[in-house]
Amino acid sequence: MSGAIQHEGGPKGSASQDFDLNLAPIIDAMVVLIAFMLASASYIAIGVLDAGVSAAGAEAVNATPPSVTVTIELAAANELILKVAGKSNSTTRIPASEGKPDHGELTRKVALLTGTWKDLNAVTLMAGDATEYREVIAAMEALRKSVPVVLLGGF
Amino acid sequence: MKKSFLGKRRPISGDMSLQITSMADIFIIILVFLLKSFSSGAMAMSPSQGTRLPQAETQDLGAEALKIEISETVVQVEGKPAVNLAAFRFQKTDLQANGSSKALNQILEVERKRQILIAKANSDVKVDAKVIVMADERAPYATVKSVLASAALNGYTDFKLAVVKGE
Repeated sequence: MSGAIQHEGGPKGSASQDFDLNLAPIIDAMVVLIAFMLASASYIAIGVLDAGVSAAGAEAVNATPPSVTVTIELAAANELILKVAGKSNSTTRIPASEGKPDHGELTRKVALLTGTWKDLNAVTLMAGDATEYREVIAAMEALRKSVPVVLLGGF
Repeated sequence: MKKSFLGKRRPISGDMSLQITSMADIFIIILVFLLKSFSSGAMAMSPSQGTRLPQAETQDLGAEALKIEISETVVQVEGKPAVNLAAFRFQKTDLQANGSSKALNQILEVERKRQILIAKANSDVKVDAKVIVMADERAPYATVKSVLASAALNGYTDFKLAVVKGE
């Protein structure tokens, strides 16, 4: 990076002066800044899952209740209990698959219900007090594949 | 002596200057990229050390909201310690009959009042019901429920559960 200055009308007449901008301190400052930013940055991508709370909130979202209300319970031994109440009543137990909750089967069963009852757009997820949060999130993630709103229950 | 076919070698000069203009360009690009990443919001929220967020496929982090973090030893509101926990659990004396935490209720009430005062003073600011909950994946559901109950009691009913984006 260089520049030139022309002096005209000076005591020695026209004289040019080439100079180089000293980039070394700029580079030094940038190296420090980049190192600081890389050290302070966090590289995990954080997202959010929308969750409602069953029976919380001041106003009701929909005046007419759905034909059926669906509740999923995370039971002991990774069993899932799907309860349907309203115009249809049933309780389905989904046993664990290879020691883990069978989320695939849960998604299929809830998808069948949303196909049958078109006004079903929310399900309530309940869990025991000792259930780990990651299991609740995993169930929520599975349920969101077949129903738009997952409410947390058990309050 | 046989003359080299390469011809006469030019003498190597002792002075050598490193071409740092291109290096400065690269650094500027990296700096701009990092500054952009900082301002995009993805880096604005990061859990405390030791807190492991659960993993899920999900949408991007939305707008700013009140942040509550549940770690093994403490519940933090906006990065400030609010309630001490013992192995992810509230002390029994702190819990009320409705499942909410007394100490957390007090702090959330102050936050809510502050938000209302700001909204009154500035018409551009609206009272927001959003709350981002960053809970450790090992936390029991009872603790998460208590935090959600406390938030809901103080008008924070739009819950956003923070997770690490999976593949």
